[in-house]
Amino acid sequence: MWESFWFEFINFYFIPGLVLGCIYALGAIGITLTFGILRFANFAHGEIMMTSSYLTWEFVLVASSFGLILHPIIGAIPASICAIILALIVDRLFYKPFRNSPTIMIVIASFGMMLIIRSMVQVIWGPNQITFVKGIAKPNPIIKDFTSSFDIMLLIPNKHIFILLGTIIIMLIFNYLLSSTKIGKGMRAVSDNPNLAEVSGINVENIVKATWVVGGFCAAAAGVFLAMDTQFIESTMGFRMLLPMFAAAILGGIGRPFGAVAGGLIIGLAEELSAYPWLGDGPVISPGYKSGVAFSIMVIMLIFRPSGLFRGRVF
Amino acid sequence: MMKKILISGMVIAGLSSVAYSDVKIGNPMARTGPIPELVKPMSAAVDLAVEHVNDQGGLFSDGQKYVAVKVDSACDPVAAVDAVTKLVNVEVVTGIVGPVCSGATIAQAESVSIPAGVVTLSVSASSPAISEMENGTDLVFRTAASDAYQGIALAELAMSKGIKDIAVSYANDDYNAAIAAVFSKAFTSMGGKITGNEAHEPNKASYRSEVNTLGSGSDNLALFAYYGSSGITIMRNALETGAFENFIGADGMLAQEVIDQLGAENLGNVTFTTSASDSSTDAFKSWRKHADAAGVPASDPFVPNSYDAAFLMALAIEKVGSADRSKIAAALREVANGPGEKILPGEWKKAKEILASGGSIDYVGAAGPQDFDKNGDVAGLFSKNTVVDGKWKPVVIK
Repeated sequence: MWESFWFEFINFYFIPGLVLGCIYALGAIGITLTFGILRFANFAHGEIMMTSSYLTWEFVLVASSFGLILHPIIGAIPASICAIILALIVDRLFYKPFRNSPTIMIVIASFGMMLIIRSMVQVIWGPNQITFVKGIAKPNPIIKDFTSSFDIMLLIPNKHIFILLGTIIIMLIFNYLLSSTKIGKGMRAVSDNPNLAEVSGINVENIVKATWVVGGFCAAAAGVFLAMDTQFIESTMGFRMLLPMFAAAILGGIGRPFGAVAGGLIIGLAEELSAYPWLGDGPVISPGYKSGVAFSIMVIMLIFRPSGLFRGRVF
Repeated sequence: MMKKILISGMVIAGLSSVAYSDVKIGNPMARTGPIPELVKPMSAAVDLAVEHVNDQGGLFSDGQKYVAVKVDSACDPVAAVDAVTKLVNVEVVTGIVGPVCSGATIAQAESVSIPAGVVTLSVSASSPAISEMENGTDLVFRTAASDAYQGIALAELAMSKGIKDIAVSYANDDYNAAIAAVFSKAFTSMGGKITGNEAHEPNKASYRSEVNTLGSGSDNLALFAYYGSSGITIMRNALETGAFENFIGADGMLAQEVIDQLGAENLGNVTFTTSASDSSTDAFKSWRKHADAAGVPASDPFVPNSYDAAFLMALAIEKVGSADRSKIAAALREVANGPGEKILPGEWKKAKEILASGGSIDYVGAAGPQDFDKNGDVAGLFSKNTVVDGKWKPVVIK
């Protein structure tokens, strides 16, 4: 009984929830940073994710025409650089002119950018689904054999190992950047109080650029990980992730990157675990309603603790 | 092509107030939206029927031109209502051949064509809900069989494969929910056991919890979804975890994309049904000859049905003898159901001569006999499709 409970729970609910949570977390970092530092909800964030997965696919394709078989993670390196450049160009051309305008204008501008970027991707690569990685990902046999000797057989496909490890590595780098570098401290200072940061000699415009670099990189990683997981790419994939990522950012507290990570993992796990048969045989909540779970958490959080888990900004 | 349509549309618009030398029908189809690749050959089949009519003497004794006014219904109820409103009020069409999707067909019929008294002859809308939506008006017909039949065919197929218990997962929309309900009822009545029956929300990144919740009861999954929005992801998640071994499903899943993404080697136990034509009939042979000559893929899903619809509409108009909307429904039944001289696809001249001499005809279509029942539905054949050498291979279920 217990053996099968752990087997089912860990492999079919917990690990998928964790993988989804990692993707949400990476996406939510960018959202919470722009929200905290630039003070607007960037609707175009999901499209940066989507664009970088298309670019990754394109790089892998181009490399394969030269006889090089690249893993998507390698293809993601030039793609994330392109995504960062895209984020910086969008900021320079379309957000900077609105920097001192009412927030609603820049929010609408980002909404427009979302549609423009998506349309551009559709013009270049077409509106149809594209296969990112062909075939079925079978569980890693080494982990399966190794863990089954301890009576807890783990079924983890390689793509999930890449996603989990990749997220942990990015988190560690990110942690170092925020807590130990000058630019990271500047970002935290601007997020806490931009006026105070400016009078204490921090170049806010540079911090804004750094924000886009970090946010763009995390978005690219989230987009590529999402494409690795679903194994196909299409032009609304980023937009579909946008709302749970907002929920994650709000849950963790706006302007709190580690809150966004926690929020992402909680939302991802809550979505998957809500379908687990905790009581009796049937799922607690029918899986058809699992996206409702993310939003229930967000709404309850906004009502009872609008600052989020990590005491973020309240608007 | 588009330019041609635009120009001919403008010419027609310019002429319509002056001379009544053309008879127009509306042809809304999902030219954009989720299934443009499926619709392209269907639209070509409509063109072919129009060409046959015009090349073999046109309509009525003075040889008026048969014109299909093309608009985009986008597989979307709102777009279909807009498009058909324009057809009915601005183009003043005699009848409507199309739309493609069930949701679009229901919406345009309820809010536009039925109130205006115009006959809708859909080419592929297969939702069972369409059978009884007319409220006694007899204005909605279709040349594709209802999913009420396909659901039963699928249940019979499952039984013949020795499947005794099955889990059902369906996307929460008009088409998929309806066929899932028909299938579940038929399968249970044949003595099978439905171990789980869950709706899923389309467009999610992962369906692992859905798959595993359902997978605890059975090794067999009946999947009702559109391949692009949730079907492929569900199959992938199910195959990755080994939750299910056998898969069955309906036409929403039947796309090359499924094989391309999942790999043919993983799809050994997958069977999907779709509407099919019996290629051994004289009518189909006649259709194939014409279709091959015109470069239209004769056996693609709903392509013969599209030809039949456009051809039948012309026959009904010829039978009426004028572009009078109100008489089309009755005439459509007469030319389709007989009794009378058998007319095969492409035999416009023969049909016209018989009708001119006061005789009666019975059109036997490319897709099947095309005899309308009291709901304006036709019986249909279905094929089961399995993966052979990396392609879907259809076998007609007799």
